[in-house]
Amino acid sequence: MSVRDAVLRVRALLAPRRVERELDEELAFHVELEARKHLAAGLSPADARHRALARFGSIALVADQCRDARGTTFFDTLARDVAYAFRSFRRAPLAALTIVVTVGLGLGLITVVFTVYSTFFLRVDAVRNPGELFSVERPTAPGSETRLPFTRSDYEAMRRETSVFTDSFATVRPLRARIDGRRVSSALVTGNFFQMLGVSPALGRTLSPDDDDRAGRPVIVLSHRGWSNLFSGDPTVIGRSVRVNGRPYEVVGVMPADFRGLAIGPPDYWAPLALVDQFRDNYADRENESPVDIIGRLNPGLNAEAATAALDTWASQRADLPPSAGLAGAFGGGGKTTVANPSFIRLRSRQGTLLADGNEAPLVFVPIFFAFGMILMIGCANVANLLLARGVSRQREIGIRLSVGASRQRIVRQLLTESLLLALVAAACGCAISWLFQHGALYAATTTMPPEVAEALNLGVLATDWRVFVFLVAGAIVSTLIFGLAPALQATRLELVRTMRGEMTRDMRPDRARHALIALQVGASALLLICSGIFLRSAFDAARLDPGVRTSDTVVVPILNESRRAVLLQAVTAHPAVVALAASSDKMRAVAEVPDSAEATARTASSPSLVRVDQIAASPEYFDVLGIDIVRGRGFTQAERGAEAGVVVVTETLARALWPNRDAVGQVVHLQASDTAQPNPPSMPSRAFTVVGIMRDVNGPLAPDFFPSWAVYVPTGAESPGTGLTLRVRGDPERARQALLESLIAVDPGLGEINTMRTIAGMQAYILQILFWVTIVLGGLALALTLSGLFGVLSYVVEQRVRDIGVRMALGATTRHVAGLVLTQSFRSVAIGLLAGGGLAAAVAIVLTALDDSGELGHMVRVLDPVPYVASALVIATACLLATSIPTLRAARIDPIEILRKE
Amino acid sequence: MPRQHAPDLLPGTLDMLILRTLQNGSMHGWAISERIQQISQDVLQINQGSLYPALHRLEHQGWIEAEWAVSELGRRAKYYQLTASGRRQLAVEASEWERMSTAIARVMRLA
Repeated sequence: MSVRDAVLRVRALLAPRRVERELDEELAFHVELEARKHLAAGLSPADARHRALARFGSIALVADQCRDARGTTFFDTLARDVAYAFRSFRRAPLAALTIVVTVGLGLGLITVVFTVYSTFFLRVDAVRNPGELFSVERPTAPGSETRLPFTRSDYEAMRRETSVFTDSFATVRPLRARIDGRRVSSALVTGNFFQMLGVSPALGRTLSPDDDDRAGRPVIVLSHRGWSNLFSGDPTVIGRSVRVNGRPYEVVGVMPADFRGLAIGPPDYWAPLALVDQFRDNYADRENESPVDIIGRLNPGLNAEAATAALDTWASQRADLPPSAGLAGAFGGGGKTTVANPSFIRLRSRQGTLLADGNEAPLVFVPIFFAFGMILMIGCANVANLLLARGVSRQREIGIRLSVGASRQRIVRQLLTESLLLALVAAACGCAISWLFQHGALYAATTTMPPEVAEALNLGVLATDWRVFVFLVAGAIVSTLIFGLAPALQATRLELVRTMRGEMTRDMRPDRARHALIALQVGASALLLICSGIFLRSAFDAARLDPGVRTSDTVVVPILNESRRAVLLQAVTAHPAVVALAASSDKMRAVAEVPDSAEATARTASSPSLVRVDQIAASPEYFDVLGIDIVRGRGFTQAERGAEAGVVVVTETLARALWPNRDAVGQVVHLQASDTAQPNPPSMPSRAFTVVGIMRDVNGPLAPDFFPSWAVYVPTGAESPGTGLTLRVRGDPERARQALLESLIAVDPGLGEINTMRTIAGMQAYILQILFWVTIVLGGLALALTLSGLFGVLSYVVEQRVRDIGVRMALGATTRHVAGLVLTQSFRSVAIGLLAGGGLAAAVAIVLTALDDSGELGHMVRVLDPVPYVASALVIATACLLATSIPTLRAARIDPIEILRKE
Repeated sequence: MPRQHAPDLLPGTLDMLILRTLQNGSMHGWAISERIQQISQDVLQINQGSLYPALHRLEHQGWIEAEWAVSELGRRAKYYQLTASGRRQLAVEASEWERMSTAIARVMRLA
């Protein structure tokens, strides 16, 4: 079909009346000229016209032939096929319904995944010229992921001193805050943020450069999400005053839903960057030192390389590098290396919402698409089997149509039209199923989730946009080809004469294709069920796992605003639910050095003199509140409440590593902070500490984040800045958490998240449970579809071989023989499927463990646990046996006399 | 009827004749049939019922294109003209015809 052809066809379709009129005009013109010719030859006008018409023949017939040439017959045929398809659906409504539901289920499930994927990766923000946007980063070394953040004064200087960007903005996000007591996520932006991106508000106005001023009235702009969550989409919200972290702000605007502020998850609102001290009060009075991200619009005259070079030059000329740049990081062979020239600049393209390069996140979706797509595959295999069977029952009809002259192509096309119609109805059905599934999953998730997690995640059903519809229609077409093409080709490959006599041709029993389909289905179900088994076992393990610390009555309260520390401490101490209070800092990276040179010569590589450790500050009560035993020596005394006490407690693992053959208690260790990634590391020069105690190692789910095994604990007190609180409470920890939340918000409106230790420790088990539920639902569906497919195929086989079986029985075959005959039909394909599914699961598991350097996966799930493999094999084998039993019994009950009489 | 009924055209030659006729410039349907008749000295009379379907088919194939223009009668008429791909097609068909007719002539003469 050439372009011109397509154009003409489309024209004929869009303006049929005009095309018809032109055709009539053209033919009439011809007749007119012909008549004039005869007129000139001397005939009377009437005769001339008559002769002209006679010569021409039937004008209607010619017009019809022209119409054929024009190719609108395609659509006439389509209309006829559609009408025919509806008639055949009405004849076999059950088959049509089965197909629609099966394919609809598969399409619906995969659409759920696509909706999530589309929301995160395809729906980029509609900003002006996203291709010009670049984020500016300053890695500590070329290629390094550790970055030295820019500050607001860097940003101002960059704007002033370089012309690389036509415009740029700085932002800080995500920041946690509370609006009227509710946790929200905020983004702070410079005043030109919205103008630079070229986006306009849905309501009110956006921020302006004037708002980005400490002297001005504090204002915020809500995102669509924040607007619906906090104000239920109230249109009168503009001008209202809200309390952000206890301070009054005025709502001046609401952004539309499709603007997410260049982030995958939108913040609830945007506030001017100048007010950063109201969110992070350690920047009070030095707002220009707060670390920011910078995104700029590249000057059209520059390419990314030239811009990077220009920024490099600018950065190396800048003298006032932040103090953190000078810190040394020393690892490895004992030598000290300083951070390389900190002026490397990297530009990363920001295409709207996404970083254009180095995007690995979409890869995560590959296994998810695969798992959900498997249901669609199995469904299509079922439908293909069904259609193969129907093709046989329709072969008389098809045979007749072929013998009266229909071309094979024509019939294949008609069968495919039928399949496509079904698939499109299934897609509509899939749309509804996807909606139901999302709501069901959301309901299940929010009701089982710990409340504080639900509050923090703030989930909602994702919007369905045109991409989802395109995906559904494309999915319908692809599945039509998968399930419809083979049966259509099969059904039209007939030996006409024998078919007309009602005999089955050999060709019409596509046994091998059928059994391959069954094996495929069994394999896919086995894979899914094995996965769900592994997740279930791992979830059980994780739930049973001893977290290693007291979780039954501990609650964790972070202190975000140092200015509120004193009052918070007071409120916590006075709170009736609190029994004991301990303080601790987050872990920080440090380097430990054992200065014992006499020993150093005897050391081997296994005990290097410089090791990387995690340094945690803990108050004297910390070990007791969390129930961590000191196995040797002592904990901190009440008098030891700071690093100046010169004492540390180390973990058992670290003690063994640093002093392999000696008692660690009483040894001296030098510690030096090495965290360059932290914007403002507490200045801690390398100094000597005496080990006073060894604490028990804490294993389990909390270990990596909270209780690292290579850790040094230095003393601190709850008054020291940078520490959070761990409380032992009376009674139910969840109730205590609620009570604390209520009374502490009154003291600090910007209060952080309060969690029970039980929730924190249970997170991992919870994630595994979710994975279990997803895979068990998928696996169950897969198995159900497989069984119905197996049942259908075997019933059909029995049906087809009734005569064969009857003859065998008449010749003396026993019931057992016949049953065996049917069972062996399915046995082999089920066995092959089981082996393939199990093998694939094991192979994936082995590859995953091999790829996983960190060992985190192996820590969480035992991928080669034999129990799930055996259990799912048993379940599938039993279920298949049940599914085959009915057709088998039917075969065994065949009465040979009855059959032979029919012959 | 003054004339004998014209012999049927050889199948497949109508397209070629139309393309060749249009080589001299754009024409409407009636002019095409008249011209073929004249040049062939009334031997070839285009069955007019098959002329228009052929024209429409050629148009869909992209070998000719149509344009409405004012005719000698002062009324608008549909004028057809050759496209670039039509010229190529004509060359192919003409050389094929040449080959066939020489072959047939040889057989008729020598066999």
